[in-house]
Amino acid sequence: MSNVLLEIENLYAKVGDKEIIKDFNLTINEGEVHAIMGPNGAGKSTLSYVLAGKPGYEVTSGSIKFKGRNLLALSTEERAREGLFLCMQYPVEIPGVPTATFLKHAVNAQRKHQKLPELDTMEFIKILREEGKKLGLDNEMIKRFVNVGFSGGEKKRLETLQMSILKPSLSILDEADSGLDIDALKVVAEGVNALRDGKRSLLVITHYQRLLNYIVPDFVHVFADGHIVKSGDKNLALELEEKGYAEFMREK
Amino acid sequence: MAGLVQDIDLMQPDLPILRYWRDRGKKAFEQQGVPTVKTEAWRYTKPRDLNSDDFVLSTSLPIITCSQQEEQIPFPCYPIIFENGIFYSQAKEIPSGLKVMPLVDALFQKIEIQEKLGSNLEVETHPFAALNTFYLKQGVYIQVESNVELDRPIVLINHSSVGPENLFFNLHNVIVLDKGAKAEIVEYYNYNGALKSRYFANIVNEIFLAPCAELQHYKMQNEAFKANHVAYNCVEVEKEATYKAFCLQRGANIGRNETRVLLKDKGAKTTVNAAYMMNGWATLDTTTDVEHLSEETYSSQLIKGVVGGEARGVFQGKIHIAPHAVKTQGSQLHKALLLSDTAEIDVKPELEIFADDVKCSHGAASGELDEEQLFYMQSRGIDREEAKQILIDAYLDDVISQIENENVKTWIKSFL
Ligand SMILES: Nc1ncnc2c1ncn2[C@@H]1O[C@H](COP(=O)(O)OP(=O)(O)O)[C@@H](O)[C@H]1O
Ligand SMILES: [Mg+2]
Repeated sequence: MSNVLLEIENLYAKVGDKEIIKDFNLTINEGEVHAIMGPNGAGKSTLSYVLAGKPGYEVTSGSIKFKGRNLLALSTEERAREGLFLCMQYPVEIPGVPTATFLKHAVNAQRKHQKLPELDTMEFIKILREEGKKLGLDNEMIKRFVNVGFSGGEKKRLETLQMSILKPSLSILDEADSGLDIDALKVVAEGVNALRDGKRSLLVITHYQRLLNYIVPDFVHVFADGHIVKSGDKNLALELEEKGYAEFMREK
Repeated sequence: MAGLVQDIDLMQPDLPILRYWRDRGKKAFEQQGVPTVKTEAWRYTKPRDLNSDDFVLSTSLPIITCSQQEEQIPFPCYPIIFENGIFYSQAKEIPSGLKVMPLVDALFQKIEIQEKLGSNLEVETHPFAALNTFYLKQGVYIQVESNVELDRPIVLINHSSVGPENLFFNLHNVIVLDKGAKAEIVEYYNYNGALKSRYFANIVNEIFLAPCAELQHYKMQNEAFKANHVAYNCVEVEKEATYKAFCLQRGANIGRNETRVLLKDKGAKTTVNAAYMMNGWATLDTTTDVEHLSEETYSSQLIKGVVGGEARGVFQGKIHIAPHAVKTQGSQLHKALLLSDTAEIDVKPELEIFADDVKCSHGAASGELDEEQLFYMQSRGIDREEAKQILIDAYLDDVISQIENENVKTWIKSFL
C-alpha cells in the first residue's frame, strides 16, 4: 500500500471577500499523477496558490496534510523545502536577478534544510547546464534575469528546469501547457515525466486535455464551483474534451 | 567649553596660510552656526545632534590603536590610516610619481598647494567646511605626477573607536593629479567597538585634476549608528580630465556626502554616483552640485537608495550650466526603494540652465519591494528575508556594477 502524500479535507478558501474553494476534498498518494480539469475561472489557480501559501489566499475552514503534517501551519518557503513545488501559470519576472543566481539560492535553501552542504558555484553550474540542456535552455538564457524577456514557452521551460533541479515530492503544474507549441510541450512533458519514479507525485491542473496525452494521469477530476464534481481515470479527460464542461456542471 | 568651536592649541600657529584659513574658517562658522531648518541647503537633513555641547575635539591617538587595519582592506593598495581623525600611518612603499604626506607638512614645503588650498571651498556658505578649516591640521596631501598611472588604489582609512568622550574630528585632504595622471582613491570610514558610539566626523576633500587626468574616487561610509558624518568633496576638473565618484553610505545617524564638481574646461567629464542603505532613524543625504562651466562638458549622476525603518533618504542634486557652456550634457537620476511605511525620501533636483544647445535630463522614482517577486522566490524555498536581500542587491546592481575596479566592487558589495 502506498503512503498518503497530500490530504485535503473539506477545504474552504477565499480571495478577498470572495469564496472560491468550497468543500474541496482530494487525496494524493505517493507516486500518483492526478489531473484537475475545469473551466476558466473555476478556481484552479486559486487552489494551487492556497497549497503554496500565497498571501491573500485565506483558508476559512478544512485541513491540508502534507506528509502527515499540517501544511497550513507552514510558511511558503517551508512548504517548498518540504517538497511542494508550484509550477506557475504566470511565472514572475525578476529584473536584476540573474536566473543562475536565483536558482542557486533556491537549491541551497533546500540543501540547507536537508542538512546537506551548500553547492559551490562550479558544481552548481555543472548541474544547471546538464539539466538545462535537456530542456533546450542554453547557458545564455540562464545568465539572463529571471523570466525577463523570456517567451511563454521559455518561461515554462524554466519552471520545468527548477522542478528538475529541486526534485519535489509533489509538483503542482498550473496550466503548464499554456503558450506552448507542440514541440515545446513535448520537451516540458519529458522533463516532467523524468521526475516520475513511483514516489514523486504530480497534480496537473489544466484547461485542455491535450497536455494529458503527454503527461498521462492516473486520476482525472472535474473541478467546478469550487470543488470536484466528478472523478475518473484518464478516459474522463477525453470525455470532457468531447462533451465540454457544461455537461458535468449540469450533472451536479 | 561649549559647542563645536573650542579653544584648542592646534600648533604651528605661525604658518601664515594655516593662520589665514583657521581665522577665516572660524569667522565663517560663527556667522553661520550649525544649520537649522531655515538653512536651505540643510532643509531635509537636520544635524540637531551637532548642537549639543558634549563633543570634544579629538587631539591624540586612541590608547589602543587598531593596527590590523591594513589587513581589513582585502586587496592590494597603498593605505593611509587615521585613528579618530588623527594621522596614524601610511604605506611604507610608495611608487615613484606618487607623493603622500601629512597636509601640514605639505603646507610647509610646497608653494603649489598654498595656491590651491581652499580655492573652491566657499566656506562662507558651507558651515561645516568652515568649521573644518578652522581646525585645519589633520589630513593628507596626495599628488600623482604627470602621466603616472598608479598600479593600485590609495586607501584612506579612518577608524573611530570609543572612548569616554564623544569625539569630533576634522579631516582635510588635498588630492592633486597632474596632467595625464591616473589614480584610484578609496575612502573608508569605519568604527570599532560599540555600535552606539557617538562622534562627529567632519571631512573635506579638495581635489584638483589637471588636463587629461583621471580619478576614480570611491567611498565607503560605514560609521557607527549614532555617529554624525558630514563630508564635502570639492572637485576641479580641467580640460579632458575625468572625475568618477561612487559613494556607498551604510552607517551613521546623520550622514551627508556632498560633492561639488566644477567642469572647468572643454571635454571635462564626471560621473557622480552613489548608493545608500539604512534602517532605524538615520538620515542619509547625498547632495551634488555639478557645474558645467565650459562648452562640451559631460556629467551623469545615478543615485540609488534603500530605506527602511523610520529612516530618511535625502537627495539634493543640482546641475548648473553656464551661459557659454554649449553642447554640454548632464543627466541625473535618483531612485529609492522604500522598505517600510515609515521610511521617507526627500528629493530636490535643481537645474540651472543658462546655455542653449545642451542636453540635460533628470528624474526621480521610488517604489517598494514587489510581493509577487517575493512570493515567487519563497515558493522556491528561499527565505523571505533572503529574498528581500536578493531584490535589494538587484535594485542596487546597476549603480554598483558601474564601479570599474573589480576588487573595490567586490569589497563594496560585501557591505550590502
Ligand atoms: N487576487 C484575486 N482577487 C480577486 N478575485 C480573484 C483573484 N484571483 C482570482 N480571483 C477570482 O477567483 C476566481 C477563480 O480564479 P482562478 O483561480 O484564477 O481560476 P482558474 O485558474 O480556474 O481559471 C475567478 O472568478 C477570479 O476572478
Ligand atoms: Mg488558472
